[in-house]
This record gives sequence, structure tokens and C-alpha cells, in this order.
Amino acid sequence: MNEKIGLEIHVRLNTKTKLFCSDHNNIKNAKPNSNTCPVCMGFPGSKPVLNKEAVRYGVMIALALNCSISSKIFFSRKTYFYPDMSKNYQITQYEIPIGREGYLEISNGKRIRIRRVHIEEDPAKILYPTNDLNTSEYLLVDYNRSGMPLSEIVTEPDFSDKEEVREFMDKLISILEHLGVFDAQADAALRADVNVSIENGERVEVKNVSGLENIERAITYEIIRQRSAYRLNGRVERETRHFSEVSGTTTKLRAKEFEEDYGYIFDPDLPIVKLSDELIEKIKSELPELPDKRIERFIRSYKIEKSFASILVNKDKQLADFFEESLKYYNNPESLAKWITTFLLKSLNWHKLRINQTHVKPEVFALLIRSVDENKISDAYAKDLIKIYVDTGKDITDMIKSYNAINKEDIEKIARRYIESNMKAVSEYKKGNIRAIDFIIGSILKETKKRADPKLVKEIVIDLIDKEEASVAQ
Amino acid sequence: MILLTIESFLERNQNLKREELDDIIARAKERSLLIDKEYDAFITLNDNLAVESKGILYGVAISVKDNICTKGLRTTAGSRILESYIPPFDATVIEKVKRAGGFIIGKTAMDEFGFGSFSINCAYKIPKNPNDKERVTGGSSGGAAAVTKAADFPHIAIAQSTGGSITAPAAFTGTVGITPTYGRVSRYGLIDYSNSMDKIGTIGKDVFDAALLLQIIQGYDPRDSTSIKLNEESYIDSMNKEIKGFKIAIPKEYYDYNYVDKRVADKIMDSLSKLEELGASFDIISMPMYKYAISAYYIVAISEASTNLARYSGLRYGLQKQLDSSLTFDEYASIIREQGFGEEAKRRIILGTFARMSGYRDAFYLKALKIRKLLIDDYKRVFSRYDAIITPSMPVIAPKIKDALSMEPLKVYGMDIMTVGPNFTGMPTISIPVARVEGMPIGMQIVGDHFNEAKIIRIARNLEKVLNYE
Ligand SMILES: [Zn+2]
Repeated sequence: MNEKIGLEIHVRLNTKTKLFCSDHNNIKNAKPNSNTCPVCMGFPGSKPVLNKEAVRYGVMIALALNCSISSKIFFSRKTYFYPDMSKNYQITQYEIPIGREGYLEISNGKRIRIRRVHIEEDPAKILYPTNDLNTSEYLLVDYNRSGMPLSEIVTEPDFSDKEEVREFMDKLISILEHLGVFDAQADAALRADVNVSIENGERVEVKNVSGLENIERAITYEIIRQRSAYRLNGRVERETRHFSEVSGTTTKLRAKEFEEDYGYIFDPDLPIVKLSDELIEKIKSELPELPDKRIERFIRSYKIEKSFASILVNKDKQLADFFEESLKYYNNPESLAKWITTFLLKSLNWHKLRINQTHVKPEVFALLIRSVDENKISDAYAKDLIKIYVDTGKDITDMIKSYNAINKEDIEKIARRYIESNMKAVSEYKKGNIRAIDFIIGSILKETKKRADPKLVKEIVIDLIDKEEASVAQ
Repeated sequence: MILLTIESFLERNQNLKREELDDIIARAKERSLLIDKEYDAFITLNDNLAVESKGILYGVAISVKDNICTKGLRTTAGSRILESYIPPFDATVIEKVKRAGGFIIGKTAMDEFGFGSFSINCAYKIPKNPNDKERVTGGSSGGAAAVTKAADFPHIAIAQSTGGSITAPAAFTGTVGITPTYGRVSRYGLIDYSNSMDKIGTIGKDVFDAALLLQIIQGYDPRDSTSIKLNEESYIDSMNKEIKGFKIAIPKEYYDYNYVDKRVADKIMDSLSKLEELGASFDIISMPMYKYAISAYYIVAISEASTNLARYSGLRYGLQKQLDSSLTFDEYASIIREQGFGEEAKRRIILGTFARMSGYRDAFYLKALKIRKLLIDDYKRVFSRYDAIITPSMPVIAPKIKDALSMEPLKVYGMDIMTVGPNFTGMPTISIPVARVEGMPIGMQIVGDHFNEAKIIRIARNLEKVLNYE
């Protein structure tokens, strides 16, 4: 069971402009091929000009991943022919990446080693009319994506299973978001080449897998495929494979001996960039608070449990921001952390949404949880409201408040009615059969549609019966 | 009609009346047509001649080597693969020329993508030498030099050099060519051959013309990261200063009869006496590294060229074919490239791809880059003691076109022996005609240290005055 998994992760950097031209980098819903210029279209005579912001982002990522930073960087041409390549070479970094030999620690204490961090340009986007390479008669190319900046982060094959991969990826994305260099919602924001090898097997590379979920699917499939291949043939061959999102399976692209020779040369249009110690120190000093530090701070200042703090920060930066924002409206970290990491997160996961993709507002959420804690709202109803809130985005403020308005007196009113019409059960109760009033409580809960707290209802019913007895006794 | 020099034309061009300007333009157009008929010097003539603003070049016709992008005007780089290519933007040098009042007369003939020393590797017509129509113009900026030689109207050429493509045609046609320091002139809009060596320069009838145009097109450009921020020099202001006390280096290897036509070498040596009369002195020196220059130069040039040419695959511009769904992308691109590229382009793509393949990269490409560093050191050592290096521009006089066509590629590459050193190391050069052999002009190449254009222009101008070459 000795799997080794390594990742070559490509993340889109959210700079203002593309890597080598001045086209916008984060235009959403642009018409195909509307966000282009001679440089990113590879027109004859055009020349790339390096976006310094992207270099700074690269340095930030490398620093956050504990890499050593190169004092000089330059760019190279990686030549291969493919329809998405505007120049049929990609400008990337080859010999000397921005960062080398870093690591990222995961919760079991294991350090996943980072081999290199560099920046490069994204090719154009290919659209297959049938959504599948094998069945499409032609393809369309959208150069809006051409030249967008990517950071490539390469790990050593240090992962033992896909759970470690998932945790690493969550943490990595959280780091990128804390750095402010990455927008997880951008088109094709995250892709990876996944290397998987089983014990005694050769390394298999699965190319260009898009998104977290598919990375896990590809790993699962590859491990199963390689194990059965090994059982069948006694070996696993070194090769490159393609992952199909439709079927969740991989197919062979090429064997090792047919690996492309990219014929790297230095890109002579781009001068060497010096990364001085002062510059690196400056970037380091300006780094924002990163996940590990933030988790420590949450535990220290808010006195919340480590498991809650880790989920809040590592699952998704926006969730941690939401938590801190909610605290401004209701200063009860423990309660908010609990509700966010359980029921809110559950609703979000159900829809595969992140908090900032919903209309859930911290002030409303804080009000809800405060109402629960003040026993104005039942847990059950609160769970329902969270679900409605995430599902529909409808403002639930009135529902929280209106619930409060009918609260105690209304329950008492309803309770009196059920007590009067069930005197038999009441007398049973008085005789000592405590369970006799369950029917009354159930009816009240039913009528209030879970909006009443069962504990409170029970209290009220018992209270009313006791009071009645007292008045009769007089 | 007496041909005015541009120097004298500039005394009156600012006061030209509209009709006079129109006459000049009409005449330039008519004469260019004739020149093209006579010498096949243009690939495209500009039908829409227009002066866009009033400046120093008001009324001066500018011809442009066809690998420099001109907005709305066909630009082929001398290749079939770009036969119908109309650039959507102007190169920076074109913008500058237009702003200075020059008008673009047409696009001049060249070796395909600059791949040649004679302008015979042409997808279109082979330009002819105005001194002798049976002879080559030199390459790759052959059309530029031919038009310059033949023009009898105010005209200067924008040319371009990678390994000697300005000096060679200037020398063979008897014109003056300036190849500036790498980085002096923006390459934005230049269709790349070898980006680490490509330089846009000028060819004029005399030193003044070539220097004037260089002064206009030079300068830092944010769109070309390899262009350099410098105080822009006025060559016109400094070119007439005397050169008394200048020290000139004469590298003996460049006068070796094994490589250079004896008559050419001797004529250059002879004209050195004129320099002494002007108060300059010279020493014979040795630059032994020169023998590695050609092979190293070609390895770097073709490595870069083979990546530059990868983009021509028939997709967004240039030669295209009806798409056929039975073809894969690779097959389609192969058909386009097979039909679109000439023999020399294919040769350089194949050799260049080989030189950068893993396994050969260290032995060829990376080693060639190391040699470039050593060569630069070699030049720097010389320039620490001398103001300029003088060599013949070309080792021979312009050969006959038919002889050139049957020359072995290696022998052709050897023609660059004089020019490759400074071009490979990014040094500025100027080639001026100094004498004739068999009635054909021969050129003297003056090489300066990086960004010392003013100095070599000054030497050339002083020499030009006393040579009475014509
Ligand atoms: Zn662009």
C-alpha cells in the first residue's frame, strides 16, 4: 500500500493585467477573443513585456511555502505545437525558478516538500463542441485566456493518499487567498498534473486535471487502475495519461519514450530580473497574516478549539473572514465558530458553494446565533433558517424577528388550548405519568412548525399545569 | 535634374508648399516604380503615400525592410507564409518616422526572414545590384540598399541586421549602413529572426542620411524590454567634430588573405592612411577569438529562429488552407509550413531545433552562449584601449547572382566573417564605401564599443569627406 503522489499545481494569479501584455486579467464573461492584443495572440513583431506584479506574487507564494528565493530569474521558451499555443512556445521558467526547496506542513506533522515555484503564461482555452476531444470534429480557440499569469507549484512525491492531498490543497488555496494572489472562482483557476506511483510501479503522470474534486477522482482511479495492472502484468509502465472529467477515468496519452523534447532556450525578449535581498525582505515584511498564524491567533484571542480554528482558516479564507466579521455583531466566538463550522458549512458543501458565493451576511447570521443562544429561537429552527438562507439567499432577518414576536405568550396560548382539550392526559400526568403530556408537547411543536424550542415548550406546559393546580388548590 | 543631398534638402523642406510636397511625393512614387522594375527592390509599394505630420523628415521618402510591421501595409518578411499578412499595428520605428514627417514609400526585398547574406533566398524577386545588375545586392537588407543606391529623390532606408544584414548590402552597393548597438532602437514590430541579435538600423546614400534616420528612430521603448534608456544623442551635432587623437585597432585576422579577397583587404589598408592624415593613429592587433564567432553565432541565431518560426502554423494569420477534418493539427501545420517556408528557412528550423534538443543543448546552444560572453570580453578589452576597430565590411566584392545561387551554404555562412563578431556581441558598426574593385564598391566597417555610435559616425563622416569615393 505504498502509494506516492506528487503534484504539479497550476494556479491562476489574479494580477490586474496578463503576464506579458496589458490586457485585463480578470474580466468575467468576456466575449471569446475580445480580451486580446498582438502580444497574447502571438502576432509577428509583437514583444512580451513582463508584468512585475506577477513576479511579486510569485515571490510571495514562494516565501509562504518556505522556499529559498533565487536572486536572479529569467524566462525560457518551451517549444511544442498545440492549437492553444499562440506562438507554439510557452514563456515559462526552466533552469532557475523563483523559489526552490520549500515545504508545507499538514496536520499529521508531515512536511510536503515543495520542489519549485515559478510563473509562466497560460495558453489559450480550447472549446470542444462535444465537450470531448475524441468525438469533436473541430475545436474552437479562445485567446482571452492566452497569456494569463500562472504560478506552477511542484511538490515532491510526498503524499501517501488522497486525504493528504486534499488537506494540502485546502491549505495551499487558503494560503494563496490569504496572500490575495488567487481567485478560486476564476475560470480554470486551478489545474494540476498528478503523478501517481504504487509500490514497485513506475511513475504515471495524469495531465491537466481541473479542480480539487477531479484531482481526487484522478488519484482514486489511478491507484485502482495501477494496482490491477500490477496484479495482471506484474508491472506498471511509465507513461502520461489524460483524465476525462465525464467518465472520471484516465486514458493513455503517450509512453515514456515519446515524451516531448521542449528544446528550451532563454527567451531573448525578456531581460534577467534581479531579486535583491532588500526586495525580498520588503515583500516578506509586507506579507499578510498567513493561515498558521491566523489559526494560532484564533485559538489565543477567541479561545476557540483548534479543530474549529483549523476548519475556519484552512477550509476557506472567506469562511474565516466571515467568522471574524460576524464577531463584530455578536461577540461569542465559541458559539459562532461552532455554528459556522457545522451547519453553515454543511449547507455550503451541499451546494458546493463558498460563503462569498451566497448572500449570507455576517450581521444576519450573528443575529440568528444570538437568538439561538438567548433561547429566542430553537436549534432546529435555526438549522432550517440557515438552510433557507444558503439555498435562496432570501433575507431571513424578519423570520428571525417575527419568530421572536410570537414567542413565549404564543406558545402559552397554544399550550392552554391543548391542555384544556386534553384534560385526561393532564390528570394522567398529575398522577405521575410524566410521559402523558408528550402528546401535548408534540401537538404544540407541530402547530408551531418546529419554531418552538422543545425544551421551552415542555417548560411552559409543565408550568401551566402546575399553575392551574395551584389556582384550583386555592 | 540635379540630385540634392538630404542634408541640403533639409534646408528648405520645412518651407515646402503643399503643391511642392505633392510633387515630391508623386515623383518619389513614380521613381520607386521604375527602380522596382529595374532592380526588383521592393516586395510591396505603398499606394497610399501620405505625410502625417511636419517634422525633420518632412518630404523624405522612407523605405522599410519588409520584416518591419507597417499598419495596413502588407508585411511578408520575404516569406510566402506571410504573403497576405497585413499587420494591425505599426512598429515603433514606423510611428517615429511618421511623426517626423517621413512617408513610407514601400517595403523592400530581403532574404526570407533575414536568412541570407546575398538576398537570394527570396520567396519573391531577387533584388539586383544597381552597380551591376548581374550581381547580388548583399543581404539580407538587399532591397533597402538597392533602393538607396538607385534613388534620385530624398530617400533613406530602414534596414535591419542580425549578423551583418546592413553592412553586407551597404558594402556591396556602395551605400552607408549603420547597425546600432543592440538595444539602441526598439524592436517592437520587427518580425523576429534572432531576438538577442536583431537590430533595426539605417541605410543612406551618405553618413549624414544614415545618421539622421538613426537619430529619429532610436530610443527606449516600453514595448521592447531589451531597448535601453539612454540620453538620446544627436549624431548630426557631433559628426563633424575632428577625430584627431583617435586610436584605431586593426585586427590582423580580418585582413588574412585566406579569408579575404586580397584586393579588398589592400584597399581598406590603403584608406587607413587617410585616417592618419586626419590625426588618428592605428595599431595592428590580434583578436584570436574571431574564429569561433561564426559557428557560435549561427547556433544561437538558428536556435532562436526555430522557435520564432514555430508560430507560423496557418491559424490566425499568414498562409492558410481549407480546413479538412481528416487532418490533425500537426498535419495541417506541416502542410502550411512545408508550402510556406523556403529551403533556407527549413534548413535553419531543422538545424536550430537540433541545436536546442536535450542532449545537444549543452554542447551547442549553451556553449555558443558562453562563446558570446568570451567574445564580448575580447571586444571590451580592445575598446579599453581603442576608439574603434576597422575591418573590411565584406571579404569579397558582390558576387554574380548565378554564382551565389550555386554556393554551398557553409561558404555563404562564411561571408559573414567580418560582420558576425560585432553583430553577435551587440557592438555598433557603420559601413562606408571607400574604393572600388572591378568597378564594384567595397566597404569599410567601423566598429565601436556598445552605445558609441556617435564616435563611429564621426570617424565615418570625417573619412567620407576626404575619400572622394564617387
Ligand atoms: Zn494581450
